[in-house]
Order: sequence, then structure tokens, then C-alpha cells
Amino acid sequence: MKTDARSAAPRRLMDIVHAALFEEIPFNVAVIDRDYNIAAANSSFTDRFGDWQGKKCYEVYKKLHQPCDECPSVQVFETGKTIVADAVGIDQHGKPTHYVGHVAPLRLTEDGPVDYVLEMTRTVTGTRSWQQEYQILFDRVPCYITVIDKDYRIVRANEAFRHSFGDVLNRYCYEVYKRRKSKCPNCPAARTFRDSKVHNSNQVGTDRRGHDVHYQVTTSPLARTGDQVGHVIEISTDVTAVRKLERDVVEVERLAAVGQTVAGLAHSIKNILMGLEGGKYIVSLGLKKGDEEMVNEGWEMVERNFAKTTTLVKDFLSFSKGRLPQLQMVNPATLVNEIVDLYKDITARSGITLRSEIAEHVRRAPLDPDGIHTCLTNLVSNAIDACQMGEQKGSEVVIRVHEKGEKLVFEVADNGCGIDYEIKQKVFTTFFTTKGGEGTGLGLLTTRKIVQEHGGKIVLESEKGQGAHFRMEFPRKRLMTLWREGHGKQSSQTKQVRS
Amino acid sequence: MSVTVLIVDDEPDVARYLAVALRANGYTAVTADSVEHGLKEVHKARPDLICLDIMMPKQSGIAMYTQLKTDKTLRSIPVIFISGVGHEDPWDFRSFVSDESIPPPELFLEKPIDAELFVDSIEQLIASTRAHQERTDK
Repeated sequence: MKTDARSAAPRRLMDIVHAALFEEIPFNVAVIDRDYNIAAANSSFTDRFGDWQGKKCYEVYKKLHQPCDECPSVQVFETGKTIVADAVGIDQHGKPTHYVGHVAPLRLTEDGPVDYVLEMTRTVTGTRSWQQEYQILFDRVPCYITVIDKDYRIVRANEAFRHSFGDVLNRYCYEVYKRRKSKCPNCPAARTFRDSKVHNSNQVGTDRRGHDVHYQVTTSPLARTGDQVGHVIEISTDVTAVRKLERDVVEVERLAAVGQTVAGLAHSIKNILMGLEGGKYIVSLGLKKGDEEMVNEGWEMVERNFAKTTTLVKDFLSFSKGRLPQLQMVNPATLVNEIVDLYKDITARSGITLRSEIAEHVRRAPLDPDGIHTCLTNLVSNAIDACQMGEQKGSEVVIRVHEKGEKLVFEVADNGCGIDYEIKQKVFTTFFTTKGGEGTGLGLLTTRKIVQEHGGKIVLESEKGQGAHFRMEFPRKRLMTLWREGHGKQSSQTKQVRS
Repeated sequence: MSVTVLIVDDEPDVARYLAVALRANGYTAVTADSVEHGLKEVHKARPDLICLDIMMPKQSGIAMYTQLKTDKTLRSIPVIFISGVGHEDPWDFRSFVSDESIPPPELFLEKPIDAELFVDSIEQLIASTRAHQERTDK
């Protein structure tokens, strides 16, 4: 009795459990007979699809009047095996509902035929729409996204990437991005596979049309915490247009400098012509008057201006030597110290203090040392002249170098006579000189040209009587672009020579 | 009555050339190599006309022109700007002097200058200035 009582109690308990499971399980559960009739369904199913009593499954699931073309239940009745099904039906409110689940056979006798099928499905409409949104985002986001496996094969690629690089699935990433036959050196994905960390890198690849593509790539691990990285996701931003724009800006500045230089040359020549015209006039007037002294005076004027022409032509030829800066990794402080050494005796003799201010942590930079030497020489020489023209005592010229944000900055400041507003406007635009008959006005133009060739700019701050302050600013990003391009050119030239 | 012309130019050859051309044509020419010197000569020589270079060290010709035109006693003296910057170049007086109360110069001559043309221009400018003064006096 005890045994019967003990065995009866569990049976009742299991019945209760089964009944509760049937009702409470967070799935839509329905039992279907061979004639598509719904024999039983739980509350989750009823809540989703509405009243089912006395109705066919296709009427309830899909609001149809005849069985579906590919009915999973029919398949289970035929095979007697459980299958996974995935379908879109219509809920009781008329809205499409996506459901996925198992369809299993139910037999009333152990070895008998399949009498019913048990459909246990889960509504995935929300998940499905999230997946669609994710897919749209993945495809339409304006950057390249690829997922690569440990063999560096691309297992997923978004639309933007496929558009630029073609059909890429299962191909090696180095083959697709760079048309290489082996892994790239300094591969950021390799680093991510190694250390499971995010890495960034600037790269140049080749698209399916053979055009260069500049991109900034971020590689991230695709793995749960603690797991080994099985895949790496590469997100790249195409910066080709930005790189082109950067080059164009430098080019436009170069061309503008050429235009202003030509106008400035004309201006300078006019002044010399005026001197020659004057000499010629005084010579003829002296000849007419029989005044030998006047003839001599006029002739000297002709000779002086002739000599000026020679100087101008020499300066101009030196100025017009169009060349790319010969960049070397140099310490900016060394360049400043060289200039101080060069001018310390001259300034000491003139009673001018020359000193340098070199900020701590000034980093090495790719610069043309000869070019920067010329710039600093021109600016310091001008500053010394300004101090000599000025009236105040205690004249001083300071050469500074420091980092300002992402810029390397050289400054030459003096407390000489200063430059007033009108002159400041002209100072970089013509062959303008404040040195009377002595200068050709090319120093500042040459300086500006060299600075622009480095992708930098030169700024003048000056007030009359307050001294002048020239600042040469070199964005480090631009210097690095020139440095990389210079190296690229050198290596392609080497290749040509070798081939 | 002799006409006195003040030439302010830091280029000694230019100043000498213009002075010789003026003297050869009966004018009295006074030269100055800077604005500072030029302003002293304005008060000393009381010129009938001033020829002014634009680009000069320390102070430019524009600075001197502004001082002349803002001084009640000097503003009536006609001024000729003489510069290597040509009319066809984007030389715009207002880009140098934005103050509209300061009038543009009477004449602008582009270097190099032919002596004959220079003297003719001076002659015409003096004549028209005198005619204007006579009309004003009446």
C-alpha cells in the first residue's frame, strides 16, 4: 500500500508538472492531428493566435483556407522524426509574426503510428526585426566592415566593402586589401589575434578597379571574455578623399605662392628699371649740357642698377629651384642651436642679445634641415637688421622651438623697429624689402616657400615700434604624410632602377 | 613763382632721378629718404606737391599720407603715389586705408616713370590744383 501510495503520488505530481509546463512554458504549444485539427494548445499560443477550438492549424496560424504548401507537420507525420521549423504566420490582430521551433511526433502507443504532432514554437518577430536592422546597419554604414578568421580569410563583408573590393568571401584579406600573396607586415589583425586587444593602423590598399585606397582600420576581437579570439572584425574608414584634399590644399598654397612670386618679381624689376631709366636720363641730360660730372653720376646710377639686376637674378634662380623638401628625421633643437652659433658673433658685435628657448619634449620631426636652416637664417638676419634700425637700447633676438598641439613651432622674435600694418600686408606677397637699396626682398618669400613646401604656414605678428614676431607652424600630420609619400616615391624609384 | 616738389623715396637713385628731371624743368625739388625726414621737410619747405613712395622702412608712404590728409594745414597739398605696384595689379587704396574720410591720392604713377611724362603730370596737377584753389577763393 505504501509502495502504491508512493508511486501514485509522483504520478499525480508529474501530471500536475506536465500540465503546468504545458501552460506556463514560454513557447506557443499546439497539438495537431493528421487532419490539421488543433487538438490542444496552451495559453501562450491562444494569446498569440487567438481562438483555435474547432479550427484547422492553417486557419489559425496563417489565416488560410487550405493547408500550407510546405507543412512541417505533414513532414513529421510522414517521417516520424522531430524537425526544426521556421515560418511567418499572422497573429490574432492580423500582424505578421515570425516563429521558430520544434515539431515533434506524438504516439499514443509506443510503437504505433504518429497520432499527433507537438508544435512548440517561439515568437522571434522582435529578434528578427533587430537582426534586419543590424544587417542594414552592417551593410549601409559608411565604412568597410569585414570579419576574418584565424587563417585571415574574410568570412563576412559589408556592402560598402563588397562595392569597393568585389566578391571577397573566403578570400584572404591581404589578397583582397592589398593584392599580396602573403600576410602584411605590421598586420593589426594579427596583433588582435595575439593579444585580444583593439588596434588601429593607417593603410593603403588597392580596390577592385586598381585605385589606391587610403584607410584607417580598427581591429577588434570577436570572442567572449576569456575565450581565444576566433575571429577579428576589421572596421575601416576610407580616407582617400581626405588625403587627396590635404595634398590639394598644399598644392593650391604652392600655386598661390608661385603667382604672388611672379607678381613680386615684376614689382622688383620695375624698381630696377626706374633706376636704369634715371641713370639714362641723367647721362643724356649731362651730355646735352656738357656737364661731365652729371654724365658720371648718371653712368654710376646705371652701373649700380645693372649690378642690382645681377643680384636679383641670382637670388631669383636660387628661390625658384623647385624641389620637394629633402626630409630627414632631425632634432629641431639642433637646427636652432646651429643658427645661434652662426650669428652669436655678429650680434655680439652689434650689441644685440641673441638667445634660444628650446622647450622640453620637442620631438624629432621629418624636416629638410637645409631648408629650415635657410628659413631661420632669413628670419634671424631680418630681426638683426630690424634691431639695428630700431631706436631702443637692449635689443634682443630670440629663437624659440616648441610643440603646440599637433604642431611643431619655430619662432623668431625681436624687439626692433617692428613692421606697421601696411607693410605687414605686403610682407609675404611681393618682393618687398624694408632695407632700402640693399635687399632684394626675396628672403621672406623664400622662407614662406620652404615652409609651405613642408605643408606649414608662416605667421607674422608685429606692431610698429614693438618688434616683429615670426612664427613657422608645421602640422606634424602633414609632415608625416610628406615623409610617407617621400619614402613611397623613393622605394618606387628604387624598384624602377632595379627592374 | 617757383613750384616746390617734395620727393619722399628710400631709393636714392629714384629720388635723385626725379629731382634732376624736375630741376631741369624749372621746379624746385627737395628729397627725403624716410617718412620722418619727409614730414620735417613738409613743414620746412612747404611744398606745392608731394611725390610719395609706398614701401619704405620704419614707416610706409601710406602712414605719411594718412598723417598729411588728417592734418588741416597739410591736407590740401596734392600727393602723387609712386610705386612698383601697378594699376593692373590688385592694388586697392582702400585695402590700405579703410577710413573713408581720407580721400584717395590725386595721382598714382607706376614705376618705371618716363621723365617727360612725370614732368607733364606734375605740371597738369599743379595747374588743376591752382585752378581749383582760385575757384574756392572766389
